[in-house]
Amino acid sequence: MSASRFDPPPQSDAPEALGAVVFMDASRESAHRERREKLRRFLTDWQGMIGLVLVLIFIASAVFAPLIAPYDPNALDIPSRMSPPSWVHLAGTDQLGRDTFSRILHGGRVALLIAAIGVSVSLVFGMALGMIAGFGPRWLDNLLLIIFDAVRSFPTIILALATVALTGPSLGVVLAIVIITTIPSYARVARTATLALKNTEFILAERALGASTPRILWHHVMPNVMGPLLILAAMEVPVVVTVEAGLSFLGLGVLPPQASWGTILNEGYLVIRDAPWMVVAGGIPLILTTLGFTFLGEALRDIFDPRMSRGR
Amino acid sequence: METLLNIDGLSVDFRTSRGRVKALRDVSFPVRKGRIVGIVGESGSGKSTVLWSILGLLADNAEVTGGTVEFQDHDLLRLDEAGLRAVRGEEISVVFQDPMTSQIPVLPYLRQMADILYRRKGMSAQDKRAAAADMLRRVGIPDPETRVDAYPHEFSGGMRQRAGIAMSMLTGPKLLLADEPTTALDVTTEAQIIALMRQMRTEFDTTIVVVSHNLGLIAELCDDVVVLYAGEVVETGEVHDIFHNARHPYTRALLECDPARIEDVSVRLPVIPGDIPDLTGTLHGCIYASRCQRVMPECHTIAPPVAHRGTGIAKCHLLEGPLADPDWPPPVDVPTVPRNAGAPVPARPVVGEEPLLSVTDLNVRFRTMGPLRARLRGVKSPYVDAVLDVSLSVRPGETVGLVGESGSGKTTLGRTILNLLKADGGAVHFDGQETSAMAERQFKPRRRDMAMMFQDPIGSLSPRKSVRALITEPFTIHGIKGVDLDIEAERLADMVRLQRAFLARYPHELSGGQARRVGVARALALNPRLIIADEPTAGLDVSVQGEILNLMADLQAEHGLSYLIITHNLPVVRHIADRLAIMYLGRIVEDGPTADIFAAPAHPYTRALVEGVPKADPDRRRPEAAAIEGEVPSLIRRPPGCDFAARCPRVQDTCRIAKPPHVEITPCHRHACLFPLPRTTTDWEMP
Amino acid sequence: MLAYLVKRLTLSLVVVALVLLLLFSMLYMIPGNPAIIALGTRASPEAIAEYSARMGLDEPVGMQFLIYVGNALQGDLGSDVFSGRPVTDVIGERIGFTMALIFTGMTWAVLLGVPLGCLSAVRQNGWIDHVTGILSVGTIAIPSFLVSIWALLIFALQLRWLPAIGAGEPGDFADQLSHLILPAFAIGLGWVGYLARMVRASMLEVLGEPYIRSARAYGLSPRKVTGYALQVAILPTITLIGMGFGGLISAAVFAEIIFSRPGLGKMIFDAVSDRNFPIVQGGVLVATGFYIFVVLISDLLIASLDPRVRQSL
Repeated sequence: MSASRFDPPPQSDAPEALGAVVFMDASRESAHRERREKLRRFLTDWQGMIGLVLVLIFIASAVFAPLIAPYDPNALDIPSRMSPPSWVHLAGTDQLGRDTFSRILHGGRVALLIAAIGVSVSLVFGMALGMIAGFGPRWLDNLLLIIFDAVRSFPTIILALATVALTGPSLGVVLAIVIITTIPSYARVARTATLALKNTEFILAERALGASTPRILWHHVMPNVMGPLLILAAMEVPVVVTVEAGLSFLGLGVLPPQASWGTILNEGYLVIRDAPWMVVAGGIPLILTTLGFTFLGEALRDIFDPRMSRGR
Repeated sequence: METLLNIDGLSVDFRTSRGRVKALRDVSFPVRKGRIVGIVGESGSGKSTVLWSILGLLADNAEVTGGTVEFQDHDLLRLDEAGLRAVRGEEISVVFQDPMTSQIPVLPYLRQMADILYRRKGMSAQDKRAAAADMLRRVGIPDPETRVDAYPHEFSGGMRQRAGIAMSMLTGPKLLLADEPTTALDVTTEAQIIALMRQMRTEFDTTIVVVSHNLGLIAELCDDVVVLYAGEVVETGEVHDIFHNARHPYTRALLECDPARIEDVSVRLPVIPGDIPDLTGTLHGCIYASRCQRVMPECHTIAPPVAHRGTGIAKCHLLEGPLADPDWPPPVDVPTVPRNAGAPVPARPVVGEEPLLSVTDLNVRFRTMGPLRARLRGVKSPYVDAVLDVSLSVRPGETVGLVGESGSGKTTLGRTILNLLKADGGAVHFDGQETSAMAERQFKPRRRDMAMMFQDPIGSLSPRKSVRALITEPFTIHGIKGVDLDIEAERLADMVRLQRAFLARYPHELSGGQARRVGVARALALNPRLIIADEPTAGLDVSVQGEILNLMADLQAEHGLSYLIITHNLPVVRHIADRLAIMYLGRIVEDGPTADIFAAPAHPYTRALVEGVPKADPDRRRPEAAAIEGEVPSLIRRPPGCDFAARCPRVQDTCRIAKPPHVEITPCHRHACLFPLPRTTTDWEMP
Repeated sequence: MLAYLVKRLTLSLVVVALVLLLLFSMLYMIPGNPAIIALGTRASPEAIAEYSARMGLDEPVGMQFLIYVGNALQGDLGSDVFSGRPVTDVIGERIGFTMALIFTGMTWAVLLGVPLGCLSAVRQNGWIDHVTGILSVGTIAIPSFLVSIWALLIFALQLRWLPAIGAGEPGDFADQLSHLILPAFAIGLGWVGYLARMVRASMLEVLGEPYIRSARAYGLSPRKVTGYALQVAILPTITLIGMGFGGLISAAVFAEIIFSRPGLGKMIFDAVSDRNFPIVQGGVLVATGFYIFVVLISDLLIASLDPRVRQSL
């Protein structure tokens, strides 16, 4: 049968392996079991599964909106204006007779766009800045911290208002604001992770081998920083989408007639006394998307950082 | 003699993601009043679990599956929470392993201690304050009236542990449980705490149960010993019986593997091969069978009988029953654990004359605060000297041990030699060239000749790289072309006796010993001439640390390597080093041949270190006066004269004026003391 | 402690300076004469000349910045383009409403969220834990402005329990209170859930620390042990509450707009639409300054509670 874990030199006065030592290779077995256990936990985590489903619905409905939407989102139908939800119009119509459901689906495309671009750009820049702050000289770290503090001192909406005052409303403004206000979050997570790694022995070991700083950052720091950042990204998507919706609601972002969840709410708010279903319909996708990404992010965090989980 | 605490048949399981771990199985032993009982075990033995079971403070995933713990007519395992709370703190108290994490950081000691006294309704706030200060005084904390208001982080490690003992003794408990009380402390502090605990026992008539893996501590402190292996009691007995005539093969093997008990440094260190069995599976027969040096076929299937001797027991087929062997156990000086009796000890390579590594008057300082704050606070020199005027050398083929406690600067020195830290004065010469002044670009090729092994075996490996990638990374970093990396990886794995299957694994899938081998392999990748090893045996059980040390010795014989071993572990370094350099607060206080230093240390600190290590022999307990007072001073407040003056038993006024220069006793043995120890006295004479 | 106070204060001032710099430079990013932008297109040439002189528009840019800062410190933030009234007066009228809204919102969120989180941690997996968990997820999932809209819809328009618009009659405390309830509820709701979760997570982490085990081993009562844990766990919560004020300010802006409540947020919003630039600038400055101030207070509070922080800096 299998020999013991390593081969001690043959021993003259020790008994031979009579009946052989069946020695379970403890650490690999247990590592295997841990991996399977993590997968099992993820799949049976009903919250995580719901989150995954919601996220997939969100992405699919946004991508395939032109195919699924029953009506053209901008098609006017004045005679049917302000009609409540029915089988013809699943979410009713707005004051110009446009089908709210179709508008919601197309609004999802805006949300997806903002989420995709906003999160990826913020993540890349935030990660880079955070790694530099954590790994570089102290003065650079302090400088970056102060800049982040300054940026974070602006409540999002205030910054948005100030910017729109200068440039006028547009999708680009929303994107810019979203990116600027979320970079510090990623940078902070990246910085914390980098600082934790910086003084560990393995970074020191790499330096002792002669590895250059870029090599260390790319091969050794970044892969370990990615994990928490991706979890943060999942949790930030709803933030980004909500900011867009909020700004568009105020007329500071996407402008009518472009369909966005925010503009739907805007139009709904204007007729809230007469057609209250619009604000309800416009709000539901926001909630579902937020729930979906939050559940998913939590499930991911449970797997990768079980200390912070809900405690099963 | 009255039994204060009786543990009978205690069994505890843990529910983990790997399955149900049977951490303790049928553990039974008595604790007699007034005695100090030591529970000895290595990693995985379950010794701490025993303590927590007594107090009912096991983790949430733990389940007591059987047994009783009798204390004063109650079964503690069956007591409800209110009943347990009445016992905790009042009747049974605890001293914790790591004083840094086991004391609440946001409350001053007075508050914590007053809270512990909450049951004393008759005591006023002043009374409690007086009691707290009195307790601090009794454990040797200076200035207790004021220090009682301090926060834990304002105390050093040794002081914190003393405060921890004070808190546990505050209510005068009948039973004190100590969980590895000295593991987190320096050798000299450890000696003080041992003396303190004995004093507490005498003053308060407390019964103590100590849990430790440190055989020396157990031998010094305890009256009775319980030996745990993988969750079972394998042997118990009175301390002299256990240490002089152990009956269970595991106890015997453990004692034989302890380097402090091996007089002859020229033999290989014995090792208990293998690992503890997987406790989640079903267990048959004797728990030690898979590693026993005298295993028989029946051992795997039939549970061993209990053999009594006096008040102690041992569970082994060799002692009783049909398989009993009358010649077991053999006399103490006969080794039972194989040490390659047949194979010759590899000859040490011929040591060259010209030093390979030469450090001259090296200084490393760290800034404590920015220039602005220094100006504001009126601090003239906002630096600490972590390494001060250090000179040492390593010749080809030689092993030099750099010995010091925490704060001695030994790790800083090691890192500076490798240009991981910048030197602020002095020079490092390697192979004749001055490397300390080199820029990284120039120095990089030299990194192939000087490699480092780090203290934390798993922590020093990049978590997301496979072992193969880690071992071959040096080739990539140095741009070595024309080598087949896979072949190199296999060659190195073979060299360090790591199975090739491990090349595909990741660091978190390795055990400590395996990870250390990977560290060795990485260091060897480019055929270095010098390896600096930082605490090569840290975290390894005594029974397996010989593996890595024997490996290092073999590699040295094969390749003519030199080693600089950085450690605080004196028994180990005595076996592997040709020469030693002792560091204290950044200076070398003595250096010379290992045998000379152990036999006749010249510097009082060296003697404190050498004698401070608890001896694994209960007959050779040191007198309490031998423990050196005080603690290592802070680097920030370095005294002007000799750094050791405040604690030295031989101090004179001249010592405090200036730092003693280095003096040669013989050409290879120097020290830095104005009043060195006389060379002809025997061990136990005090000045 | 004093050293920490000084360092922290300096840091805040640096941030304020940066904010001022950003606001100031915004003025220069708009094409056109800053005076016309500031005063509006209908301003008279004399007014323009007077403004240019006061703001030193002919001076080098650096000097202008200093003048701007100097003016700001003296309370001169410019004048409303349309009415000519000093911006500080306009802000002064509104700020009370906004403060009332923000503080009421945060207070009820803290009063409900922190105990719920604490209880959830102490009685993990009990019914309180489950209920709190569901509620907190639910409330976090709904964006605050949506809560405002739906609260308006349900409680004001459909059920008619509470007024929908405005801040109430001046001088009539009860009326003002009734107008405060819905907006404060709306902005605080998301925070209840968030705080409960954060406190719970923080408490659970602390309860797993070795020193809590020590406290239990010394036989301290469960209440005392929980008290210890709370004392440590509250620290990151305070940081969170401080930083959360930023989000709260944003939520308040939405609430003011949705409920047509006079306040700083609505003021800035209207000013943006009207291109009333000095109001925008002044309002942004005050809002941001307030936020920085709150974060400073929370940091100082933590330093007073946690002795380790006092030493580190």
